[in-house]
Amino acid sequence: MVNATKGVFISCDIPMAQFIITLNAQQPANRKFIIHVLDNTHLFIQPDGVGTIRTKIQEFRDQNTYEKPP
Amino acid sequence: MPQVKIIARNFMDMVASLPAVKLDKLYESPFICEAIVRSLPPLAKKYALQMMYIDRPVPAKAMDEWVLIDGVSKHNVAIDRLVQLRVFVETVDRKKEVSYQLNPTFQESLQNQLVHGGVLSREPMPSNTAGRIPSLEELEAYALNQWECFLLHLINSIQSEKLTNFSSSMMKIFQSGLLSQREKEAPKLTEKGFQFLLMDTNAQLWYIMREYISNAEARNVDPADLISFLLELSFHELGQAYNVNTLTEFQKHTIKDLADLGLVKLQQGMKDSWFIPTKLATNLSVSLSDVSTRKQGFMVVETNFRLYAYSSSKLHCEILRLFSRIEYVLPNLVVGAITKESLYNAFGNGITAEQIVSFLQQNAHPRVANRIPSVPENVTDQIRLWEADLNRVEFTSAHFYDEFPSRDLFETACDYAREHGGLLWEDSKKMRLVVKTEVHVHMREHIRQQKY
Repeated sequence: MVNATKGVFISCDIPMAQFIITLNAQQPANRKFIIHVLDNTHLFIQPDGVGTIRTKIQEFRDQNTYEKPP
Repeated sequence: MPQVKIIARNFMDMVASLPAVKLDKLYESPFICEAIVRSLPPLAKKYALQMMYIDRPVPAKAMDEWVLIDGVSKHNVAIDRLVQLRVFVETVDRKKEVSYQLNPTFQESLQNQLVHGGVLSREPMPSNTAGRIPSLEELEAYALNQWECFLLHLINSIQSEKLTNFSSSMMKIFQSGLLSQREKEAPKLTEKGFQFLLMDTNAQLWYIMREYISNAEARNVDPADLISFLLELSFHELGQAYNVNTLTEFQKHTIKDLADLGLVKLQQGMKDSWFIPTKLATNLSVSLSDVSTRKQGFMVVETNFRLYAYSSSKLHCEILRLFSRIEYVLPNLVVGAITKESLYNAFGNGITAEQIVSFLQQNAHPRVANRIPSVPENVTDQIRLWEADLNRVEFTSAHFYDEFPSRDLFETACDYAREHGGLLWEDSKKMRLVVKTEVHVHMREHIRQQKY
């Protein structure tokens, strides 16, 4: 019988996919959001993971910026 | 510039949505007919002019023969447009065949225009009664000043020094799409507001005109009269004075509003008062077609991401503040730098990289405007890359299918998803499938049907 799972499909580049996988590994066991790792550029995750991923990517991006003081 | 076409076409859509009776009344004025012809797509223009002296209806089949096969879609678009504007009148005869004829009022006005060359109902005043008329440069400076003041007033409702005479309700109407006001907070520009600021002056003018006309009914002003007056105004001669007593009551009201926007300049003599149309007004009908006048650019962008804007206008400073980091503001120069943070700020406010790049290119200083490209490629590429950096990960709501009992079922499911554009990912070896949520419900039905 065909099985259907509901979730969010993620399409990104390879570094970002690895970033999300490490992020998932750091989460406590009840908050892990990756359902399947499809291939090295696509993932299938639970819908609640979207917010966490977005904030973490934003933090990651901000770590690499430097603003010259006015 | 595609944006002017879009705005102008929206204006024409507004004209097209007027009731038939009003539209026919509008077509009595030859100027409106000429303005409408200017706004048509090129093929429609040709058809309108071709049909100008033909009195009997022409069957649609005969018209279809005028184009080659590749032009059929353009032909249909043109005919649709003409019928929408009621320029072409459709008649269906007994054999159920469609034929078109030019709207008789329109035809007459256009013929008059062609033969007599468009005589305005009012003449410019002789120079001895008119007193001192400003020169063309003074007029242009005045128009620019008024328009900038208006725009500044639009964005900083508190901070601008010279208040325009618009009533606060009028300003609220203009601001309605562009500013969002939450309680106890200063009004903030919305996404549309930012895009509005970066548009070309003609596009901005048309936007404001559209808002003005759409709200005309609320002020007991007939929109058809307003549209005909505006289009008529655009055919007046630049820099010539026209007496105010030739205007009707409602037109006098409108003239005051237009003076605040910088479209006309009002002056008062000993006995009479007159108005002088500026370039903004005469450009109203010209900008309906694709030709638009370029004003002088003022910005130089260097390869080290620095921006030098040779301008003393506050408006330009505010606009640059939207997406770049202002370093120095001198009396005739604004120095800024395009940084990642300032761009992220702009992207967060809803401005796209394309808009920023086209704004930079359109306002390039004459010294660099002749260089190809006028803005250095590394700057434009980097702006686009920074925008792409914000969208590295794409999220799509979807469903995951696995454990297919047979390969055939898997193949049919794949094909079904592909046909409906919902297939996101598939793995043939392990027979797994990811499908968009919108298609999921139909997929489920389809798979259930397949089993039986």
